[in-house]
Amino acid sequence: MIRLQGVSKVFGDGRSRVPALVDITFSVEPGDFVVLHGASGAGKTTLLRMLYRAERPSEGEIEVAGFDLSTLRRREIPQLRRSIGIVFQDAKLLAGRTVFDNVAFVLRVLGTPRREITPLAFAALKAVGLSARAQAHPHQLSQGEAQRASLARAIVKAPPLLIADEPTGNLDDDMAAEILEVIKDIGRQGTTVLFATHQAKLVGQLERRTLRLERGVLVKDEG
Amino acid sequence: MTSFLVSEALRDLRRTGRVGVSAILLIALSLAALGGFWLLSLNLGRAIGQWRDRVRVVVYLREEPPAAKVDDLLGRIEALGGIQRVRYVSKNEALQLLRRSLGGQADVADQLPRNPLPASVEVTPDSDRATPEGTRELVRRLTALPEVEDVQGGAQWVEGLAHFQRLFQLVGLGVGAVLALAAILTVTTATTLVLHLRRDEMEIMRLVGAAESVIRLPRLLQGMAQGMVAGTLALAVLEAAFALAAPRLEPLLPVTLGLQRAVFLSFPQMLGLIGGGAALGAIGGLLATRQTPA
Repeated sequence: MIRLQGVSKVFGDGRSRVPALVDITFSVEPGDFVVLHGASGAGKTTLLRMLYRAERPSEGEIEVAGFDLSTLRRREIPQLRRSIGIVFQDAKLLAGRTVFDNVAFVLRVLGTPRREITPLAFAALKAVGLSARAQAHPHQLSQGEAQRASLARAIVKAPPLLIADEPTGNLDDDMAAEILEVIKDIGRQGTTVLFATHQAKLVGQLERRTLRLERGVLVKDEG
Repeated sequence: MTSFLVSEALRDLRRTGRVGVSAILLIALSLAALGGFWLLSLNLGRAIGQWRDRVRVVVYLREEPPAAKVDDLLGRIEALGGIQRVRYVSKNEALQLLRRSLGGQADVADQLPRNPLPASVEVTPDSDRATPEGTRELVRRLTALPEVEDVQGGAQWVEGLAHFQRLFQLVGLGVGAVLALAAILTVTTATTLVLHLRRDEMEIMRLVGAAESVIRLPRLLQGMAQGMVAGTLALAVLEAAFALAAPRLEPLLPVTLGLQRAVFLSFPQMLGLIGGGAALGAIGGLLATRQTPA
């Protein structure tokens, strides 16, 4: 599902040259649940952004969901991203729309036939335990509910890969545990999950294969 | 998908607020200016067309030909080519015409010891030859006929007017172009504003894999919608101005331009004006979306 070979990323040039990732190599098989662990600034987000081609590597090769990103053309980026669900620390819900509309919005922009939108959106909301809040607006949600809505939006198009970039970073322990359970459920359905976090406690709770990043270097791959 | 694109475009249109209204007004102003010049030029063009049909060349004869030879002379003139009509005016008829034109003082003509007026032939050139070059060539050929004393008339003044019409169109286009440029910039600003308001939505759209066309098309449609509203507004303003001005100007038209009445833009021309508005709006929307990174 994911394969990185000798991937490095450098921001800036000359004196302002900052290496963000150094010679990263690993792979993730379909259906795997992998934790990407590292302190803030370790390069987790940069690495994840390269997987959905928001950044390009300075060196190395990346393959995601069958797409070779080194040869991927600009106009093919949407096809890659349709294979990936993404959630962030900030839920990024659209303020003027209900929870249902936020989820259905994805299907609408992807041209899903109208009759399929409602059942698919409700199925995604049910999967994250948020069906009852479908008509609520983002400002009426707790942070945990907002993150669930964000997860529903990420999985509504049934992507084979879910990238979660610090989805529990803003949540208290109980809410974080809830979200973690939802993500584990998504993984159990067969979706490959790459879960990034700086919280060592969560890594211990998850007991999954963990990739540890320190200052842009992959220092540990275990589990 | 179409309904999604249209609903997003309308949603954007509502979000543009005052800037959107300014864009519509500016496009309407530029189109009204263009349409106004177009309307005046259209009627001027009709007048020029009529005057071209009325261009006459008068061939004065050395002597009045015998009645039996008139047809032969007219035949030879027609054979010169490029002639729509010929009419022989005898010395007697010319005097009658003079009397008629003198009106109450017609008896002055009766005082003359003899008829001093020459016989003549009125030559109407084909409308496509009623140009300075065409009439000059015709005059040259007519002068070469042995019976001809003098040839008068031409189309220089009509061409002067046609030149004025072209100048008028050019000024109209210039003014319209400046206003159109301002309108495009305003639409671009309005659309850019929407893009800023919608940057979260656009980010989500890009992250979930929406095609660039789906992200950008609503902006283009929004600009087009603004342009079409503006085009319709400009047309309404022009129609109202025409309805007000035409009844007041029409008594003057026969004596100035030689027209019985002024005409408004035809249906295809009206569609052209609205289409022009849509094009201006679309250009503005397109420019704004090109400024945003993919």
